[in-house]
Amino acid sequence: MKQQAYAAGSVTESIVAFAQFTRSHGLNVGIQETQEALMSAECGLLIHREQFRGALKAIFCHSPEECHLFEKLFLLYWDTNPIDLQEVKSRTSVQGMIAKKTNTSLVMLGRGRTDKETEEGKNISGASETERLKKTDFSSLGSLEAGVLEEIARKLFQQMAVRLRRRMKESRRGGQVNLRRTIRRSIGYGGEPVDLLRKAQRPKKTRLIVLLDVSGSMDKYSYFLLLFICALRENFRQLESFIFSTSLLRISKALRPGSIQRVLSVISDQAENWSGGTRIGTCLQTFNEKYGRQILNGSPTIMILSDGLDTGPPALLAEELKKMHRRSKRIVWLNPLKGTRGYAPTAGGMQAAMPELDEFRSAHNLNCLLDLENILAYA
Amino acid sequence: MRSFDNPSQIIEALDRQQYIAEEEFATSLYLLLKLHKPLLLEGPPGVGKTEIAPVLSALLDTELIRLQCYEGLDVNAAVYEWNYQKQLLGIKLQEGSGLSVLEKEKHIFGHEYLLERPLLRSIMAENRSPVLLIDELDRSDEEFEAFLLELLSAFQISIPEIGTVKAKHRPFVILTSNRTRELSDALKRRCLYHWIDYPDLEKEMRIVKKHLPDIEEKLLKQVVNSVQQFRKRKLVKTPGVSETIDWAESLLALGYRELNAGAFDQTLGCILKSAEDISQVRTENADVFM
Repeated sequence: MKQQAYAAGSVTESIVAFAQFTRSHGLNVGIQETQEALMSAECGLLIHREQFRGALKAIFCHSPEECHLFEKLFLLYWDTNPIDLQEVKSRTSVQGMIAKKTNTSLVMLGRGRTDKETEEGKNISGASETERLKKTDFSSLGSLEAGVLEEIARKLFQQMAVRLRRRMKESRRGGQVNLRRTIRRSIGYGGEPVDLLRKAQRPKKTRLIVLLDVSGSMDKYSYFLLLFICALRENFRQLESFIFSTSLLRISKALRPGSIQRVLSVISDQAENWSGGTRIGTCLQTFNEKYGRQILNGSPTIMILSDGLDTGPPALLAEELKKMHRRSKRIVWLNPLKGTRGYAPTAGGMQAAMPELDEFRSAHNLNCLLDLENILAYA
Repeated sequence: MRSFDNPSQIIEALDRQQYIAEEEFATSLYLLLKLHKPLLLEGPPGVGKTEIAPVLSALLDTELIRLQCYEGLDVNAAVYEWNYQKQLLGIKLQEGSGLSVLEKEKHIFGHEYLLERPLLRSIMAENRSPVLLIDELDRSDEEFEAFLLELLSAFQISIPEIGTVKAKHRPFVILTSNRTRELSDALKRRCLYHWIDYPDLEKEMRIVKKHLPDIEEKLLKQVVNSVQQFRKRKLVKTPGVSETIDWAESLLALGYRELNAGAFDQTLGCILKSAEDISQVRTENADVFM
């Protein structure tokens, strides 16, 4: 593939090669876009450099981030002088974009503990084994069990997603009269609307925003919670998801079905984030500032998955939560520690957060997560 | 209808319509006209995304059809609907006419019983391509977005009772979005894309001047400069260009010839629309902004 304009033999070739070049760097450019680029050149836009750049930008890009990347690629491709070629090799990439190949070493989320297993009726198998695992705290799982539970979880989460969808489809009591179909039917009766056909009630769809704590203290839980979020995505297509520890990262786009490995590798790329303590307040502040205006629209439901062990000032957390509360339908906080016997939300951060929460639940084992279905169905 | 040979002509023509555009934007518009591909405009509120549609329609001397999107917008409100009352009456009137059921049905599902909504109207234009503005698409549901795909790529709409309506003159489509949610990749791929950002000082002054030709240079500069300062702060609601114009207009209406502390305090509500923002700005010295 030609990497620079000077290497191409003709204008057409160089434009086509540029399309390939941008595609290889992650822009969504196909045959149609290439054709349109050529057409725009034919329209007389090739004469002025700025116009041509603007035209290609309009055709090739679909978001501000892509526009930004495009500017770099454009310079790189059209302005490279053969003389200073050496430094061109390094690829430009934009933070947040995920490279396609991702089987990198993933951090062992949720599988930290491998040894030492308390014997809790280990030899039971089949259905009761499943039941037991469903009730087992994620943090006390052995690596073998973790694998089994992961399978169970995957299956159950999938069923849950299907159930949620079905429930929405079948709720069709009452509703407005569907005039279109009623009239159609009435022709047979000579125009008397004998059967009143009704419209099914439109399922109300709430948007769901999930914020997952991936700090060290949550390590044992994060993996399963991430699986859970992936399953939720099946039902809430407008799900927005974020992970945070000392800083906030949006993973909505990365979170496609079957891409959990990819998400994990992204997280591990950002691993430096989580060795430090959790700064929930600051992360929520970033969320409000950076995404709040964009995402907190139409009163969504917000779900925060965190143990509430905050190293920042509790007042900040309370204030940011208040801001979020004002623009959302409700805030559900899931705390894995709540499952621990004798736990009370006394940690500074958790205590500050309590007044702003509509729902405070545990999330330490599979059953807890599956129970959430009821909240979410009417969310 | 006017035709343009290059983006520079578009800039000039827009300028005459009181709309100031830079070259990149004009190039996108030029491609919209040449390739007949929809143009998706994104950017913060109040930078003139919606505004371009009426200007463009005036420029091309063609009709503007507008569809405002909202949550729950469905095909009935956006594309077409049957006129049910008329249909019921129609059936009554046909009583005793001896027509067969099939004929009756054909009659009441004819064109005269069809209510055209914006999208259908946009592809039924007889003489020339209209401008179709689909405003704030991000507010609509995903289902509706999926429906738009057919329209935007084939410019045709299927009505089961009538058949497929194909556009004689393909409309020039402008879509706007505030990015409250990400639009689907499929839709984006069918569109040209342009991001409109807040203008810089010099451009914003030109825009305000266009709308308020009587404004004095000093006031103009002070107003625009303050707004640019506001945008650098972390505000709940960042003011857009339209707010700048509103503010300048209010100051003119109150007879101020320059922005002093009193005027600043008195009219702050025209530019900042949230109590937190106003109190935040008030804590700072007004001189900072002038």
